Amino acid sequence: MRYSKNTVTKRRRGASPFFLFVAPALLIVGFILIYPIVYAVALSFTDRTLLYLGTTKFVGLANYSEMLRDRNFWHSLWLQLGFIAVALPIELVIGFFVAILFNREFPLSKLLKSLLMLPVFVLPVLSGLTWRLMLQPGYGVLASFFKVLSLGPPAWLADMTYAYIAVLLQDIWRMWPFMFMIIYAGLSSMPSEYIEAAHIDGANFFQRLYYVIVPYLSPVLATAFLLRLIDALRIFSEVYVMTYGGPSNATMLLSLYINKQAFEFGRISYASTIAVFLLVVSLALSYFAVKRGMRGEAT
Amino acid sequence: MKKTIVAWVVLISALVIVAVELFPITVIIFNGFKRDIDIWSKNPFYFKPTLMSYKNIFSNQDFVRSLKSSMIVASLSTIVSVIFGAMASYGLVRFNFKVNTLIVFILLMLRMVPQMTLALPFYVLFRTFNMNDNVFGLSLAHISFNLPYVVALLLPFFASIPKEFEEAAKVDGCTSMGIFWRIFLPLASAGIVVATVFAFLLSWNEFIYGLVRTESRDKTAPVAVNAFLGQYAPLWGQLSAAGTIMLLPVFAITLGLQRYIIKGLSAGGIKG
Amino acid sequence: MRRLSVFLVVLLSALVLGTTVRVLLWDDALTQALKAGLPEFEKATGIKVDLQLVPSGTLLQKTLISVTAKGSDYDLIAVDEPNIPMVAPLLLPLSEWPQTRVYQKPDMSDIMPTALAAGQWKGAFMGLPVNANLYVWMTRKDIVEEYKDEFKAEYGYEMSVPSTLQELLDMAKFLAKKGIYGWAPFTKPTEGSTCEAVWMFRSFGTKILEATENGYKVVLDKGKAVEAINFYKALLKYAPPGALDYGHSERIAAFSQGQVFSMFQWPAIIPNHEDPNSSLVAGKIEYTAPPAGPGGRASVRGAWIAAIPKAAKEKEAAAEFAYWWMSLETGRKLIPKGMTPARKSLLLDTEFLKDRPWFIGIFRAMPYAVARPRFEHYPEVSQIVRTHWLDAVSGRVSPETAVDKMVEEINALLEKYGY
Repeated sequence: MRYSKNTVTKRRRGASPFFLFVAPALLIVGFILIYPIVYAVALSFTDRTLLYLGTTKFVGLANYSEMLRDRNFWHSLWLQLGFIAVALPIELVIGFFVAILFNREFPLSKLLKSLLMLPVFVLPVLSGLTWRLMLQPGYGVLASFFKVLSLGPPAWLADMTYAYIAVLLQDIWRMWPFMFMIIYAGLSSMPSEYIEAAHIDGANFFQRLYYVIVPYLSPVLATAFLLRLIDALRIFSEVYVMTYGGPSNATMLLSLYINKQAFEFGRISYASTIAVFLLVVSLALSYFAVKRGMRGEAT
Repeated sequence: MKKTIVAWVVLISALVIVAVELFPITVIIFNGFKRDIDIWSKNPFYFKPTLMSYKNIFSNQDFVRSLKSSMIVASLSTIVSVIFGAMASYGLVRFNFKVNTLIVFILLMLRMVPQMTLALPFYVLFRTFNMNDNVFGLSLAHISFNLPYVVALLLPFFASIPKEFEEAAKVDGCTSMGIFWRIFLPLASAGIVVATVFAFLLSWNEFIYGLVRTESRDKTAPVAVNAFLGQYAPLWGQLSAAGTIMLLPVFAITLGLQRYIIKGLSAGGIKG
Repeated sequence: MRRLSVFLVVLLSALVLGTTVRVLLWDDALTQALKAGLPEFEKATGIKVDLQLVPSGTLLQKTLISVTAKGSDYDLIAVDEPNIPMVAPLLLPLSEWPQTRVYQKPDMSDIMPTALAAGQWKGAFMGLPVNANLYVWMTRKDIVEEYKDEFKAEYGYEMSVPSTLQELLDMAKFLAKKGIYGWAPFTKPTEGSTCEAVWMFRSFGTKILEATENGYKVVLDKGKAVEAINFYKALLKYAPPGALDYGHSERIAAFSQGQVFSMFQWPAIIPNHEDPNSSLVAGKIEYTAPPAGPGGRASVRGAWIAAIPKAAKEKEAAAEFAYWWMSLETGRKLIPKGMTPARKSLLLDTEFLKDRPWFIGIFRAMPYAVARPRFEHYPEVSQIVRTHWLDAVSGRVSPETAVDKMVEEINALLEKYGY
């Protein structure tokens, strides 16, 4: 691990301030965290269902082997990874360029920035339902809009491909301002000498962007991506009220599948198994983002 | 001359972006003022404005009380999460130990498991400690997932502050806590503002824990609003109205905190 | 004198001990209306009621988290009919409900027998049906009035409320020329689609699952099932655009806007259509049983049962509450608030029929009530049925393949659970 210049070198006294700062957080979270995580992992080794009749059997890795052979699981995983791979980069790019745009003084900027965040603030359920309303052929604004452009079938949510696209669109619409806000905060913290220095060197806009701003912002970008990633891997309500996972499981993202197993079929132990798997995947995918986020400025 | 053109282009682009982005939001806001039958009518722009939905939700005691509950829970969890989260984030970045990355991961683990999976163990946990029917139990649950979020969010902001600030403060004789409060927090103000807004938002909109543990008196707003989803089909007008009302506190906080973002700090700040 | 003092002692001890009964129900107009009656109940029995209402989508989760074989947070719960086989081991059979002091068990012959059957499992009644929820068929009588002569000229018989599915198809075809959609389906991938599948299969004379002495058997007749699917597809041609993704919101909107001629509806939703504030067709609807297929009429039932968990602490109080709920006086007060009674005398009460014309529809549909497959692992069966049903009616898969897959997967499921 690369140690940046900004970190304090370990001194004899160095250890105790560290604990002072970090301990409260670790205690609070640790106290609450241990039981649920252990519970969820333990559950995955049993055959417990929601209908608790008094006995639980330990079944070892049976749930895990069932999961690996479960076509529906792999299908959901695939849908989920596709969702992440398409929606998140788009959100990041849009958020980035809009943050650059807003990174200057102009009238109403504070108000506009706050307004821009409203999609992020909306209750996920309401967002999903409104998109369902807007996509309804005959009533929906978006449906009419797409019809005029001859884009897609009349009922997007009834079509397997377009329902998935609709789910992606809903998330991109809702969450790019999230990236925007974090990146904008990062830009605000950028010392002005950086920008001045680049100007003096005669660099044009894209050069400034590529050689100065992006490298400086890379920890912030990584963090924005990380935070969005851990939530996007668990996305549920918006999609559920739009499509219920259909049509024909075309939008059955992982959390919807877990929900179905746990609360429709009552198989909470199997659902826990998938959740544990998801946890491992999340940890793996976020590793580099965390490392990058903790780095100090380059040069 | 070029500067004014650029300024206008920026303003107009910003307005266009906001207008397009806010379109679905305006649909929601308008739906709160439409009769249910107009929400599903062919022409989305024609309607007879009515306050019926708003009257309904405000005479719904469950909903009104839930706003108060949510406000308490969200405020409590935000304050605790931001303070201790900022401290932890600072500590993890400025005191470099190999184990720090691991600590961040451990903190984030709770957020990587789908909430519904944790609903049952949380329910059992709170039942055991008898925290099921007061706001503290729920606030604690919210803190448990907000705090790691704040920690992760603030990492790059603390990491990017140049060492010179710290050394200058030490020369002046500041303690670690002092350095943190008086130097780093202000320098990371942009990050702190974002962290506060998001911590509040996540707690305010949080549904699953609220559903699982709630007793009827202390429902949170998302749970109360969930009732508008109806037995079969949503009560669109009331749902949209309630959703619009729920936007207001978060929006107000965002707008209000903007002025605390200190921009473009220069090395000259050391002398100041 | 002695009896009076005994009575006083009992009453006082009940009051002093302050029994509280904890009730968990779904959240809608009916259950909200119960709140208004609570003070009367508390005064009459001395029992306090802690009523918790939860949106029905999350009710089962909350119920199962709070009610187990070992302990129960609630004394009286509501169970949706298809979940009864699964939850039955946790429930106290109706025959074992404790004696009550104030309110008495309702006259069982006054409860619609087919509603009572909803609470039946393995020969025992597991609770009392608190609503009569089943497919009621709605038809626009004003459309019939307007076009009946033209229709008769073209088709040779009187246009009326369709009594067979074939008539429905004919009328739908005819009305398409007039810009009216003949019918609307339910096609969202949720329980509602399973109901549609069961409705059609039963209308064509075949059932999905049957209980035998030592287990279950798949008894779906492929020929009849395929016929049913093809007929549904034929009807779909005359449904509104987007019909392949039609849920409650979409159906309610389409019918209330006057675009649809005839379709089924759950009684709990019907008030929406009769409310001039949210419907253009209030007062223009005729309510009957669903039209008959070659196998007869079929009305899918979805009643809710009030049940007492075996592990409940206040069983007597719970029984009091349930009997109070089912009583005629309470029924009379709650019907204006949206309750669909399961008692014959209330359904046929002329005072209510005036404002609630659909009560007669419920009464007409009741004799044809059909249940969805009764099986402890019903949700998984439902998932299989609805997935392949929707694949077939949307044309993604041929009807034959869909039926084959359905049978194959249900058999695999039965095997998995050891039947």
